[in-house]
Amino acid sequence: MRALPATHAIARNTVREALRSRLLYTLVFFAVLLIGSSALLATLSYVERERILQDIGLSAIRLMGAIIAVFVGVGLIHREVERRTVYTILSKPVSRTAFVVGKFAGLAATLWLMVGIMGLAFAAVSLVSGAPLGWGHLAALALTCVELALLVAVATLFSSFTTPTLASAFSLGVYLLGHLVRDLRDLGAASDSELAERVTAGLYLVLPDLEAFDLVIPAVHGLAIPPGEVAMGALYGFGYAALVLVLAAFVFERRDLR
Amino acid sequence: MGVDSEIVRLEGVTKEFPLGFGRRRRVLHGIGFSVRRGEIFGFVGPNGAGKTTTLKILLGLIHPTSGSARVLGHDVRETEFRRHIGFLPENPTFYDYLSGGEFLDFYGRLSGLERSERRRRVEMVLEWVGLTHARELRLRAYSKGMLQRLGIAQALIGDPQVVFLDEPMSGLDPIGRKEVRDLILRLRAEGKTVFMNTHILPDVELLCDRVAILVEGRLRYLGSAEGVLADAEQEADLVVTGLPPELGERLAARFPTRAEGTGERLELRVPRKDVGSVLAEVLRDGGEVISVAPQRASLESIFLSAVAGGKAAGGKA
Ligand SMILES: Nc1ncnc2c1ncn2[C@@H]1O[C@H](COP(=O)(O)OP(=O)(O)OP(=O)(O)O)[C@@H](O)[C@H]1O
Ligand SMILES: [Mg+2]
Repeated sequence: MRALPATHAIARNTVREALRSRLLYTLVFFAVLLIGSSALLATLSYVERERILQDIGLSAIRLMGAIIAVFVGVGLIHREVERRTVYTILSKPVSRTAFVVGKFAGLAATLWLMVGIMGLAFAAVSLVSGAPLGWGHLAALALTCVELALLVAVATLFSSFTTPTLASAFSLGVYLLGHLVRDLRDLGAASDSELAERVTAGLYLVLPDLEAFDLVIPAVHGLAIPPGEVAMGALYGFGYAALVLVLAAFVFERRDLR
Repeated sequence: MGVDSEIVRLEGVTKEFPLGFGRRRRVLHGIGFSVRRGEIFGFVGPNGAGKTTTLKILLGLIHPTSGSARVLGHDVRETEFRRHIGFLPENPTFYDYLSGGEFLDFYGRLSGLERSERRRRVEMVLEWVGLTHARELRLRAYSKGMLQRLGIAQALIGDPQVVFLDEPMSGLDPIGRKEVRDLILRLRAEGKTVFMNTHILPDVELLCDRVAILVEGRLRYLGSAEGVLADAEQEADLVVTGLPPELGERLAARFPTRAEGTGERLELRVPRKDVGSVLAEVLRDGGEVISVAPQRASLESIFLSAVAGGKAAGGKA
């Protein structure tokens, strides 16, 4: 496949540009700060110290990652069109699909790197505080990576046809609803109204179920996490992201770049 | 002319831009022409004529409302054939955190060049556009003219068969313009095809084999650059004095292209064929002839008359 080297080159350039983003460093800095201070916060409590510490740490990584995914993601394609760099890129043997995938992959890789850095800070603080570390924590971070890739795909989709402002509104909407759809579905199923049941079930199908990537509680409580569950989560997340990217490429392919 | 020698082919291309609220504005009204292998093709027209729009259609960046666009025999929506084309957009902007060398290496990757080939081509095009000294400099620190040169280098990195240049001389100093002219001629000598949008008519006269004149989204002239000049009506500038006022007014009304002053002293631009009769009239009514200067038809006057909606220098469109 010819498209691969081009996609790779675009992804590399995207990583390079993302690593210059002040927003990214600010958020990662705050995440690390939170993780560090979680050790202090935990000392305020006599019970479950380690759990509180780790709950704060893992949640901070997820939240900061999501904010970066949305706010850097929404400018991903829009900026290239706005400053017209896309004209010369696409004048080379690079399909618009390869371009969209390259931009996506670049930001996803950047986020994984950031999760890695924040994860190291988390591990260091856990070790110093004597909190247990194991497969559960790794699994939680892995599914966080999947969730972030999915969020980048969603932001990329909106970035492919609208302004960053609107795209962030849409992406945040998907993020919030994505955390609610599971509860909504269960509420709908329990309700007497067939319409409510149908609507909530429909929403659950269309929107990503972000709760599927939440392993924080079982990880922190040292519950058993079957590898199959992690694999299913990854399959679901990457599959959903792939569909969203196909849609993004379809939309971008048809656009006038003017 | 065989299809093989046709590098660019546009047929009945129209383009409408949405204005919002369902209204649309038509900026190209069914234009069609082709560009042949190995020629330098000049695409000229006033601001807002639709030159850049046409070029963006040829690059597949925007899609025509109707009609077809082919480059190197391929539908412009295809991807692979772009390996053989280069494009310099109008007022190009690039990733300002890269150095010139890194930037060209990136574009070489996009063009599908292998590492060693890439290294060689980067050095080569940097030298062609006179930027070898700026290889390590971040683009943030490039001047406007340096960015324009880098834009040209970027277009040439993949050793393309055809280059599309949107106002290649923009932002360049006189030396830069000369260098770019020489570069364009060198490309032709290597058998490449060059398609350029420009406002600089002397460059067209100097460089182009064929020209198209676009006015308000319609083709007003298409043909050889020399043809434009040869086809054009030859003219002469007359300066006469001492005319009776009514003759002065009559002449000024008859030759409005350029008629300055009245009565005492009149400057007139008249077609060559009318020079004799006008002079006879002037002398008969007691006027005096100061000078008769034949004018070489310039692309500029043809351009101006095409824009003014006058008959487009006898060319077919
Ligand atoms: N995105 C757009 N939306 C609406 N109208 C547009 C758009 N782009 C260009 N136009 C209009 O199309 C016409 C042609 O524009 P174009 O940029 O092709 O002109 P041009 O011949 O390249 O002019 P110049 O010599 O100034 O570069 C102009 O009237 C312009 O206002
Ligand atoms: Mg233009």
